[in-house]
Amino acid sequence: MSKIWGRILWPLAGFGAFVAVWYAVAVSGVMPPGQLPRPDEVVATLAGQFRDDDLLLDVRLSVLRVLIGVAVGCSLALPVGFLLAWYTPLRQMFDPLFSFFRALPPIALIPLVIIYLGIGEQARLFILIYAAFFASVVVIYEGIASTDEIYVRAARSMGASEMELFRRVIVPLAVPQVLVAVRVAVGVCWATLVAAELIAAQRGLGASIQDAANFFQIEMVYGGVVLIGLSALVMDRLLAVVMKRAVRWQDRVGG
Amino acid sequence: MAEQKLDGGRLHDGATGVPKIHFDDVRIGFGKGAKRKEVLDGVSFDVRSGEFVSVLGPSGCGKSTLLTLAAGFAKADSGSVEIDGSPVVGPHHDRGVVFQQYAIFPWLTVRKNIAFGLTLRANRHNKADISAATDRYIDLMGLRGFEDALPKTLSGGMRQRVAIARAYATNPSVLLMDEPFAALDAQTREFMQELLHEANLEEQRSAMFITHSVEEAIFLSSRIVVLSNRPTRVHEILDVPVPMPRTAESRTSPEFIELRRHLEEVMRSMSSFTHGGTP
Repeated sequence: MSKIWGRILWPLAGFGAFVAVWYAVAVSGVMPPGQLPRPDEVVATLAGQFRDDDLLLDVRLSVLRVLIGVAVGCSLALPVGFLLAWYTPLRQMFDPLFSFFRALPPIALIPLVIIYLGIGEQARLFILIYAAFFASVVVIYEGIASTDEIYVRAARSMGASEMELFRRVIVPLAVPQVLVAVRVAVGVCWATLVAAELIAAQRGLGASIQDAANFFQIEMVYGGVVLIGLSALVMDRLLAVVMKRAVRWQDRVGG
Repeated sequence: MAEQKLDGGRLHDGATGVPKIHFDDVRIGFGKGAKRKEVLDGVSFDVRSGEFVSVLGPSGCGKSTLLTLAAGFAKADSGSVEIDGSPVVGPHHDRGVVFQQYAIFPWLTVRKNIAFGLTLRANRHNKADISAATDRYIDLMGLRGFEDALPKTLSGGMRQRVAIARAYATNPSVLLMDEPFAALDAQTREFMQELLHEANLEEQRSAMFITHSVEEAIFLSSRIVVLSNRPTRVHEILDVPVPMPRTAESRTSPEFIELRRHLEEVMRSMSSFTHGGTP
């Protein structure tokens, strides 16, 4: 019973409270008329958009872009992260550089990306991959580098070769850290999505928001924001479930 | 090398007479220049075949450093450390190590932890052998019923039992144990000492056991090497006259009490030395 409360009912209550406050502010007249739509107006607009304007395509496109960004970014980050964790001089050499690139907001790179990659899909994906790579690579190598030396010693004392040490000790120890990195990358990619879709995208949630803003369809701007938040939330929860299963052995699981 | 038999704790020296572990004038220090601190200042002793030797010393005297050297995780500045007559060049599965921290792999079950070493290429065993050896050490350390448990569900004492079973499983020439019971509560600690003692009587492994507990050193060992304060040398080496096999009652035997009184006094004098000799 307390499990249902903790996992489902309390979170729902949180959203409920938020929507209630939103509703109250919208009808109270605190905001100038037309600037803050009621939640039900936003839902109605979304329903209309799903029906008439194939909003589902925008959702699918955005989700796909985020997935590609995370998948490619993290796949690149994985070997780089392992190398940097394993070879201290490499880490000392690249750590500040990676921090530099990670700190750059991807949106600041858009003009450059347009110059080099144009305004096509590859430009948008590049921005997302960039964001995912730098967000996850630091988490991966910091996590693996802080691996407890005791497990390495234990394995060596039993006769583990370098390869066995890597495959049977370092990799299992790294799994939770890699999943954390993926989760961070998902968050960063959703946050970057709108910026990426600013690059002349026709469809996608970021593009929808942009279009709606240009025509001052404030309900749809809110609707797009809500959909981005919901999509990110669903992805994050799914990942949390995967993490819980994959790292059951851990004492604590970031859930 | 043929195993030698124990007889009431006394050793019939093997034909070769080569010690299992040989420390000869081992020196190591940390830091550079004026800040340099000598830790081991010429330590020499042997662990002979079939012996269970405890290394007892005040905290900070470098007793764990001795184990680190024997395990091959570090190198001495000078002097030699030999296992079965060959100099230590690095970690090797001829030495089973049990650490003070919980070092069993948290992502593996009890059974897989114990089998880990046996499944490495260095030890090359077939499936039937691995399973037989694993079962044997599950039973020896009283882990039956917990084979499929993950370490996070085990108490500290149970985790160290798995660690000891894992160290035995690869059939090492010597066991190196670094205060494995230091983190346990007093009751569990006594129980673990008895369990280890019984297990090792059956296994007859040569062992070097690091501890700062006088009681623990006497209960487990055939000999005790007492180290001095830093810069550390061997203060004295004592035979433990308490008859084997030892049980809970051994702790109240006159030999035990006499030796404990002596060692406690030695330890006290050392700690008053480090704390400025306050009365």
